Amino acid sequence: MARMTDLPQATQTNMANLECPRFETTPFVSGPPLAERRVAVVTSAGLVRRGERPFVSGDVDYRVLPADTSATQILMSHASVNFDRTAFQRDINVVFPLDRLRAMVATGTIGSLAATHYSFMGATDPRGMEANARAVAGRLKSDRVDAVLLTPV
Amino acid sequence: VSALAHYLEEEGVPAVAISLIRLHSEKIGPPRALWVPFELGRPLGAPKDEQFQIRVITRALRLLDCAPGPAVLEDFPDDDPTAVDLPDWQPAFDFTAGSIDIGKREVLEHALRQELLAFAPFHERFVAASRRTTIGLSGLSIDDCAGVLADCLAGSFPANPDPSANPVQALRWAVDDLKAYYLEAMSADGPMPSSRQMQSWFWDRTLAARAIIALRRQLLASDDKRSQAIGRMNLVPGAQVQRLGLQ
Repeated sequence: MARMTDLPQATQTNMANLECPRFETTPFVSGPPLAERRVAVVTSAGLVRRGERPFVSGDVDYRVLPADTSATQILMSHASVNFDRTAFQRDINVVFPLDRLRAMVATGTIGSLAATHYSFMGATDPRGMEANARAVAGRLKSDRVDAVLLTPV
Repeated sequence: VSALAHYLEEEGVPAVAISLIRLHSEKIGPPRALWVPFELGRPLGAPKDEQFQIRVITRALRLLDCAPGPAVLEDFPDDDPTAVDLPDWQPAFDFTAGSIDIGKREVLEHALRQELLAFAPFHERFVAASRRTTIGLSGLSIDDCAGVLADCLAGSFPANPDPSANPVQALRWAVDDLKAYYLEAMSADGPMPSSRQMQSWFWDRTLAARAIIALRRQLLASDDKRSQAIGRMNLVPGAQVQRLGLQ
């Protein structure tokens, strides 16, 4: 369904013309087998905890989502209206899959689940997020995370 | 998320991105990405399908073990099995507000509250079954969200508790909460229709949608550029603008 030809014409045009950053480096870090890795989720879905200031257009900061945050306390404040929210309404795991990762820890597919996860708001030039992304990397390393699953909307 | 993956990897944290727009991942070249053929908003595909979601996650995380080098972009082979229209689907409820004059503030607010009331049992069932609601961005009750919509159509925008944000932003959150209320109510019972069916029903059949479309028209005619921007981009989805032939 997210094939370009399935999107409305205006969205197709926006997506095709969107300026994307080009990087001069191609970093590629190795690590232990998946069954030993500690996994965190970083999402660009604009998730916030209930009561926090929602994201607005142009925000390049991030929100902290401790793993023990109840699903009832997580809201989606993404600026774009051009994506489906009904799946997230029915099942938070479709965007923020901590329950699924816990199941994968239980079966030994992955090693452990990070203590803290992070949310950005994706409808923004990602170059503005660079400093905050690097700050999040520091926090992830402090939590001994060696695998990040990034989820868009 | 492709650029975020690049920054994390550069800092020494291995990352794999789910990609919904393959073209963007091709251009940015994150260390590892799994493109999925799912609808925007559903990076793991099927809601409430644990095994399907775990298959997607596993396929993505396996790239950490197996990818031969940087800028790996793999495709997930299967479509979201829930992204199909249900034949002859109708919601378990309907409500016709009749031809009310939405230009009259009190009339509109009363009719909106009546519509909300009609859907309340279904929304309550949704919350009871799922033990959560995604309503809450505005910080208002759902009745007050309807009041904000009626106020804005009458030209009175709500005060925003965040002084750095445009007052129109508070309207945006109220509208988001209203949409969530209707769509969650629609998810209360029976087999789940596609998001396309739910959106068509909301935008074709509810008074709330009619009021939101009128408000969009009003904001687009505003002299304030931020109001214009919210009217153009943040109220009615582009797919509905195209489907309904809105200007």
